[in-house]
Amino acid sequence: MNLPVQDQETAVPQWEEELARVGFVRRLLRARKWYGADWWFVAISSVMVLAFIVVALFPQWFAPYGPHEQVGPRFLAPGETPDLPLLIVRADSGLSTLEDLATGPDDEVSRPPIAVLRGAPTAGALREQAALLDDELQESDSGLRLRPNIRRYDTVEEVLQAVQEGEAFAAVLSSVQYEEAAGQFPDLDAPSDISGGVASAGDFLLGTNQIGQDVYSRLIWGTRVALIIGFSASLVALFLGVPLGLVAGYAGGKIDRVMTVFMDSLYAFPGLILAIAITAVLGPSILNVIIAIAVLYIPTYYRIVRGQTLSVKQEVYVEAARSIGAKPSTILRRYIYPNVIPSVSIIFSVNIADAIITGAGLSFLGLGLPPSTADWGIDIARGQEFIQTAWWLVTFPGLAIMLVVLAFTMLGEGLTEILNPKLRDR
Amino acid sequence: MSPLALIFLIIGIPALIGLAYIFVRGSAGLRRYILTRIGLLIPMVFILASLVFFVMRVLPGDPVRSSLGPKGSAETVARMREQLGLDDPLIVQYGRFLGDIVTLDFGNSLTGGRRPIIDEMSERFPATLELVIPAAGLALLIGIVGGTLAAARRKRPFDYALRLYSVVIYSIPVFWLGLIFQLVFGVRLGWTPIAGRIDPVIATTLERTTNILWLDAIITGNWAALWSSLSHLVLPVVTLGLILSGVFLRLTRVNVIETLQMEYIGAARARGIRERIVVGSHALKNAIIPVITLLGLQVAILLAGAVLTETVFSWPGMGQYLVQRISSRDYTAVQSVITMFAMLVALISLAVDIVYSLVDPRVRY
Repeated sequence: MNLPVQDQETAVPQWEEELARVGFVRRLLRARKWYGADWWFVAISSVMVLAFIVVALFPQWFAPYGPHEQVGPRFLAPGETPDLPLLIVRADSGLSTLEDLATGPDDEVSRPPIAVLRGAPTAGALREQAALLDDELQESDSGLRLRPNIRRYDTVEEVLQAVQEGEAFAAVLSSVQYEEAAGQFPDLDAPSDISGGVASAGDFLLGTNQIGQDVYSRLIWGTRVALIIGFSASLVALFLGVPLGLVAGYAGGKIDRVMTVFMDSLYAFPGLILAIAITAVLGPSILNVIIAIAVLYIPTYYRIVRGQTLSVKQEVYVEAARSIGAKPSTILRRYIYPNVIPSVSIIFSVNIADAIITGAGLSFLGLGLPPSTADWGIDIARGQEFIQTAWWLVTFPGLAIMLVVLAFTMLGEGLTEILNPKLRDR
Repeated sequence: MSPLALIFLIIGIPALIGLAYIFVRGSAGLRRYILTRIGLLIPMVFILASLVFFVMRVLPGDPVRSSLGPKGSAETVARMREQLGLDDPLIVQYGRFLGDIVTLDFGNSLTGGRRPIIDEMSERFPATLELVIPAAGLALLIGIVGGTLAAARRKRPFDYALRLYSVVIYSIPVFWLGLIFQLVFGVRLGWTPIAGRIDPVIATTLERTTNILWLDAIITGNWAALWSSLSHLVLPVVTLGLILSGVFLRLTRVNVIETLQMEYIGAARARGIRERIVVGSHALKNAIIPVITLLGLQVAILLAGAVLTETVFSWPGMGQYLVQRISSRDYTAVQSVITMFAMLVALISLAVDIVYSLVDPRVRY
């Protein structure tokens, strides 16, 4: 700008002048007062970002189960009560759990008869659970054994009839089957389930997946992976891109030209495709995903920092510093770098958002992370197979990605408005 | 003639004629600009191709081993390595690779029937074009119309709604949006198929020339195939188009707002021209130029988005091919596809820059 100094002062409002003189933090704090930026935009998104960070740091506070625990039946829809195998006994029998049916040792004759429905999965559940309890009893030296004499019947009514008439001590039916027929057998009661306490009704807020893991818990644990990838990749890119941009912008000449051609090529190339190639080569691990994504975003920092360095270099105070004999490294650190920081902070926030989306894309393609990781992209990819029957498997992880990315994008957006008032309405 | 060559002819010949025309008629400055731009194109493709080549060579898996399977004897492996020239020094292989790029002959793929890669690409590339071009068109349409309307109703609810839309759509992973559309329109409502390009039964009746299926269907008058191909196309195109539309919407809005503050707009209003025409014609004409540039830059995002969209919809395009070949460690195919992508991006951004310099007289060469 070649305008005389007076003209400049009349053209730029007073607050903008003042804003340019204060530091980064004060600029953030005072911006609202001076020109009414949409501070609530930053407020909302910061709260969201903080919430996600807390969830990522302490998933165990929020998730009822671990990320790999198989805790319930498969394909349970959100809010649906799991169809548990119930133990059904006569109400006056005094029996309440499977253990109550244990008998003395070597007592072949009095093995407790238990009625089940022929061909139903509940019979298997009974056998497994009884064997488990039997082992426990044997180890505890109580002298008791639990070896049920399983009797099979063809209909639910026949099963319940058998218990009613004392033909069997108990029956095992799924809760749905029992509830349908319970009205006809008022003498019977279902005091407990025989799932071994693994799952109780209503615990699966967002349903379960194809191997009986809790979708909600995996979602919570997935936050950690997403944020690790987002933050680390952006940080690595920042630590490489910013110095490179500073040096190229300040040094100029051949170094600048060569580096810029290289960075521009990298920048123009479809990022995801490059990341695909890099992860394919490096193999699946979270570190490799971070490297691949960081490489993509180095040019973003490089370009903006170089551009700003070029313009700041022309300023009088830089020239003054040079004329009193300051070393290039000092000039870069003390005079140029502070001017570059505001734009870097904006890119950093938006970059985290981009990195999370790219990381999710990679794991969706099955390239980024080891397949056992609790990651949203992996969960979506696995859920795609069952899209015809289980809508919740793909829906919720995707929503989670969207919310996290939205939070970081909005934060970047809000910061832009506050730190670069001249860009308002963009 | 292969479909790929056909497409290159259809697009390439007019482009070359146009370039020659601009070159001859343009000013000296423009000519120098175009030459510099082309000059920069070569190092760009070269850098990316080299990057891909060397990155692929450090690959931990062995393509020959994985293509022969566990049964391949050491002898067969050695013979095949020799045939493919994998035993040569790296620098020789590198030279050969660069030569292949120049001649566009990428050799045979290592897996899947060992067909020439250029043949496989000429089947896949039209599929990607079929998806990407309408998607870009849709994004542009939503972006320009929505952005202009939002700018005209600035700071009113409609404007806020569209701004929110553009932020939210930017945050949605493209593959997830595709899956949600499959869930709603494919599974729940049953309106559209959820995978593939065309019904496999109908596909057998379709004679292919360009491999852009709806075009082939129109050429041969096969209406059943046309319907099937279009109904398969709807969901992927809408998915990709919507995801891209947010960026265009934002940019159009900002530019129209900026243009509306110019003096000539005030002059037009003062002359009593209706607001609709002021915004839609006078302002939009100037505001649209950066949007067109963005379209060129977005090709990169478009292609990346296409990889995910193709995977979600089992769309047999270049992106799906790339992902498949990566998992089978077919690195000749992988590096060829990535090089193709690099050339594509470079060419399109060149074309956009040249068009830009023509459309906007203010541009400095």
